[in-house]
Amino acid sequence: MRYLSIALSKGRLADAAVEMLEKLGIDCSEYKAGSRKLIFTDESNKIRFFLVKPADVPTYVEYGAADMGIVGKDTLLEEGRNLYEVLDLGFAACRMVVAGPAELAGKLDSLNNKRVATKYPRIAREYFEHKRRESIEVIKLNGSVELAPLVGLSEVIVDLVESGRTLKENGLVVLDTIADISARLVVNRVSAKMESERINRIADGLRKQLEDKRSGDTSR
Amino acid sequence: MSKWKIYTPDGVQDILCDDCYQKRELEHKLRMLFRSCGFNEIEPPAIEFYDVFASEGSGIMQENMFKFFDQQGRILVLRPDITVPVARITATKFKDAVWPLRFSYIGNVYRYNDYGGGKQNEFTQAGVEILGVNTPESDAEVISIAIQALKTSGLENFQIDIGQVDFFNGLMEETGLSEEEISQIRLLMNRKDNVGLGGFLKRTAIRDDLKQLISDLPRFFGSSDVIEKARSYKLNEKSRAALDNISRILEILDDYGHSQYISVDLGMLRDLTYDTGVIFRGFTYGVGFPILTGSRYDKLAGEFGKECPATGFTLGVNMVMMALQRQKIQAEKPATDTFVRYEREGRAAAFELCSVLRKQGLNVELDVSNMNVQEAARYAAEKNIGGVISILDEDNVEIHYIQSGETTRVKISELLKR
Repeated sequence: MRYLSIALSKGRLADAAVEMLEKLGIDCSEYKAGSRKLIFTDESNKIRFFLVKPADVPTYVEYGAADMGIVGKDTLLEEGRNLYEVLDLGFAACRMVVAGPAELAGKLDSLNNKRVATKYPRIAREYFEHKRRESIEVIKLNGSVELAPLVGLSEVIVDLVESGRTLKENGLVVLDTIADISARLVVNRVSAKMESERINRIADGLRKQLEDKRSGDTSR
Repeated sequence: MSKWKIYTPDGVQDILCDDCYQKRELEHKLRMLFRSCGFNEIEPPAIEFYDVFASEGSGIMQENMFKFFDQQGRILVLRPDITVPVARITATKFKDAVWPLRFSYIGNVYRYNDYGGGKQNEFTQAGVEILGVNTPESDAEVISIAIQALKTSGLENFQIDIGQVDFFNGLMEETGLSEEEISQIRLLMNRKDNVGLGGFLKRTAIRDDLKQLISDLPRFFGSSDVIEKARSYKLNEKSRAALDNISRILEILDDYGHSQYISVDLGMLRDLTYDTGVIFRGFTYGVGFPILTGSRYDKLAGEFGKECPATGFTLGVNMVMMALQRQKIQAEKPATDTFVRYEREGRAAAFELCSVLRKQGLNVELDVSNMNVQEAARYAAEKNIGGVISILDEDNVEIHYIQSGETTRVKISELLKR
């Protein structure tokens, strides 16, 4: 039988993903042993895992080098790849927002020249140009995006917000929410057809875990 | 400035020797298949006016086309597709011809960032179009030829997914949503983004049973049971007619003996295209992209001045080659059978021998660098040539078999008689 390949985002997301996959009876011991290998194999289920940078997961899946992948919705939006997004795995939840100084609240439209600092140029463009139909100047940054409006580099920012503490401590507020973000299960368009049985078994297993967890949460 | 002269631009490739041989062989097999099914091959130009592809319905985004200008400043494009030119030709040059028309083509198309070519900017498409009829028989015929094309190419494990755009269009009519909302649903559905779709539907005021059906639609794929399952819902006439249409086509394909390759996908859509009825895609192992796509497109020719129903498919030749390689399906390699070298006295005889052998169908390479026997044998071994014929004079010939290392001496008259 052919190996089914799963691309995982290095880091926190992979740990959570492996935990869920293990519950499906998939052997992830190689990963847990902290090996430095890039490919882990579960011989009995004929499954392979790759660990790659989050931004690369959609690429591996789109080209079919991986049949499926687990990756944050932020990465999916930013990469804009052609693939199937089949399941919201719920973990790593946060929001993609537009934020800026409090005095801009409700006045985003009135700004003539908008400079938007962000790590996510594509998401920012998509939101402003297609949803709000406004032109913007995107300033791409690689970290500490909250700093930009404080020092006059930009008027607003587009960034991920988990608790909102960083924003608050720097005197910024959320001006609008662009999307809810969490980890997603994505599948290559062709694999979804050619390997539908094995992929559906995993997807259904994960879905069931999520449902059990949800009903467990509410009964408590 | 010659900084870039040793490179090729992004998205294009040199196709060399073995690969080129296999590509030509594949194209030849496809051409023969199309001819045997009664298609006439046509060759539209590689350069067309931008206007040909500019309408929304062409399905090709402006930013994905290679554009330049002619001497009058009009915008030209390298053709991003061949189906649209076929519609142009039909509506202008065959508008009074006897219909149906059956056209085939094999040629390169050019697009930026398109997954149709496996992310290449230049790729080869081979396809057929039947114009002038709107029958399930013509759709089934086109799908059948697509299946035969894949089989001819050497692929065994592949799947053709069939959908019908009117099923979705009918559902959308029932919802009463705006164009914009519908295109949003289309986009989410196309990505099988169940998460986004669920969220979007929750915010709309659609009938509950319809909402359920739309959110389940991405899961409506598999055997023909899917159609029965869809029929159990309350549908409008358009959606119902679409299901009947697929059923008819499946029935016909069953008589072709193709059922094993067919699967139904009612959630299959393409954004921004000229599809008006059945749509289908072909998949196989080893390539992450569809290897063929096809559809009915009854409105396209009308854009060029003459209404004409049409159906067709196009196959990505490079995609199929990649699939064959990844699936390790043995392909024939180009081979030279014989290397001929000669001494001065045997030159005329050598030329005659070459032409006789070539007429017999052998591939013969003639020495042009004055090699001696040892050099010729080494060269032949290196290049996987089966044997060396060394012409000593007008009558005497030595044959060296490279693999066995044997040598025999014969008279040229005997050799010519064989």
